[in-house]
Amino acid sequence: MNVRLETIRECLEGIIPGHIGTCDAEGMPNLAYLSQVEFIDNEHVALSYQFFNRTRQNVLAGSPVRLLLTSHLTSAQYRLELQFLRTETAGPLFEQMKAKLAGIAAHTGMSGVFRLLGSDIYRVLSIEQAVGPTVAPPPPPVNYLTALRRAAQKLAGSANLQCLLETALDSLQSEFGIGHVMLLMHDEGRGRLYTLASRGYPESGVGSEIPMGVGLIGISARERSPIRIGFMTSEYTYGRTVRDSIAAEGYADTLETAIPLPGLPEARSQMAVPILACERVLGVLYVESVADLHFGYDDEDALVAFAAQLGQAILHHQQAEEVEEEVQASDNAPPVPAGPPLLVRHYAANDSVFLDDDYLIKGVAGAILWALLQDFVERGRTEFTNKGLRLDPRIRLPGVSDNLEARLVLLQRRLDERSTGIHLAKSGRGRYALTVDRPLELVTD
Amino acid sequence: MLDSDTQAFLQTGVSISLAACNAARLACMSRGMGCKVFDGGRRMAVFVKRSQSLELLDNIAATGKVACVFSLPSSNRTFQLKGADAVVQPFELVDMAIVNHHIDEFVQEVVPLGMAEQVVRTVFSCTADDLATVVFSASAVFSQTPGPKAGEPVGGAAAS
Repeated sequence: MNVRLETIRECLEGIIPGHIGTCDAEGMPNLAYLSQVEFIDNEHVALSYQFFNRTRQNVLAGSPVRLLLTSHLTSAQYRLELQFLRTETAGPLFEQMKAKLAGIAAHTGMSGVFRLLGSDIYRVLSIEQAVGPTVAPPPPPVNYLTALRRAAQKLAGSANLQCLLETALDSLQSEFGIGHVMLLMHDEGRGRLYTLASRGYPESGVGSEIPMGVGLIGISARERSPIRIGFMTSEYTYGRTVRDSIAAEGYADTLETAIPLPGLPEARSQMAVPILACERVLGVLYVESVADLHFGYDDEDALVAFAAQLGQAILHHQQAEEVEEEVQASDNAPPVPAGPPLLVRHYAANDSVFLDDDYLIKGVAGAILWALLQDFVERGRTEFTNKGLRLDPRIRLPGVSDNLEARLVLLQRRLDERSTGIHLAKSGRGRYALTVDRPLELVTD
Repeated sequence: MLDSDTQAFLQTGVSISLAACNAARLACMSRGMGCKVFDGGRRMAVFVKRSQSLELLDNIAATGKVACVFSLPSSNRTFQLKGADAVVQPFELVDMAIVNHHIDEFVQEVVPLGMAEQVVRTVFSCTADDLATVVFSASAVFSQTPGPKAGEPVGGAAAS
């Protein structure tokens, strides 16, 4: 095989539809257009199985398979000889192809017609380039290796989780030229993802949640697989998918719905990449664009590699923040601030916290805040450690693997964004300091 | 025999692909550079680039069996024609006007869909001395427009 499949992946995007040729037992050829060819690796591709048509009949009867693919960048045409291996009807590959097909269907007016029944996996036996002139491809928008190198260096220089998250999102903007990005962390105990940082939206959406398995982000996390769509499709629009999921799964009591998920209302290209480390799903990076086909295979590769670096760094900072010893409550109570009191209302049923009747947060972050404020009011305590919080029975962390540091960053951001007069700031490794600008009045229901 | 509507469709700015199989049933296909329907809709000629169709032309010479797909990108309207009497003939210079007209119409069809004109014209760039003509009569015609009727025979032709 003279041509490596990885070097001609633009031909698989379906911008110029490929053709598939098969043959029946009597030697009569059959041709069909392909809506989708999915790159698996240099020896394997997957084709979408949508209809039980003549092509499929021929393939299942043992016909050899030939593809004709054309590059929309260079005009080059390639003939690939394939051997059918098997069909998958669930799992990462199936979900990748299902999402992509939904975009293709919407783009070509075929929503409701194109429906993925399976991912047919083929071995690539040969690739030959057809004789003919070609044009030089346009330069890529980004040198992905350079961007990755620079971004990795910046991640390595981050001192703590908060700094790491800022650096990660800044790097995606400055090095990869990605304008709209969200970083969501995985709440393993509650089976959902919460937004911890974002760039490119009017509202940060920090604290917003999406259930595992819902929408592009949730499916990417569940399948531990990048998922990419090149055209707008309502099938993977968040407003709808989250609403439907809440209704169907009975999440309404516990899912964070007061804080809307950020996102472009007219996103045409979307990509979600899981952040994995040590066999765990730590979170998801989500990027989007208003342009069609904005993210290609190279973007996907670069973000998967970036997310792997990010995952290791998140895990490192999470563990590093929990090695410090517990500090004792200070004997010196802080000066009591002046001014009208801030009413802090806590609802134990879901740990939601309201400040002067304005909703702030709920869940684990709400429980943490309530514990901090109780200790502040009752004991004058202003210094806290991750280790102490993890052992605090009032907080009820879902498990020892839970990323407490990420929840503290979330709480810190919500407090800052809402200008609450309550501040949480890092005061050292594994330590936080609480400052309060107004007297507090704590009420629990 | 093709009805006049289908004949007209095949001769507009459609994407054309022609395939034939070898003795091992491996298909080979090439892009059609244009199509001419004649003999009252009973036969047609599809033009291909000889230099990139050597395997295809050998298969046709050996078996005479072809499949040819015509699809309009803007509407997805698609037909597949099968033939069992295909022969390869020398390209006649008079048909160059059909090829050039087809390329122009195809460019007009796909450039509004976002394709770069230079890329499309490069795919279709050809000279008369590198073209071959494949002539066959359609023994079966199928609608392949995606949807519930995809794969159905058109005009009562026997299923293939």
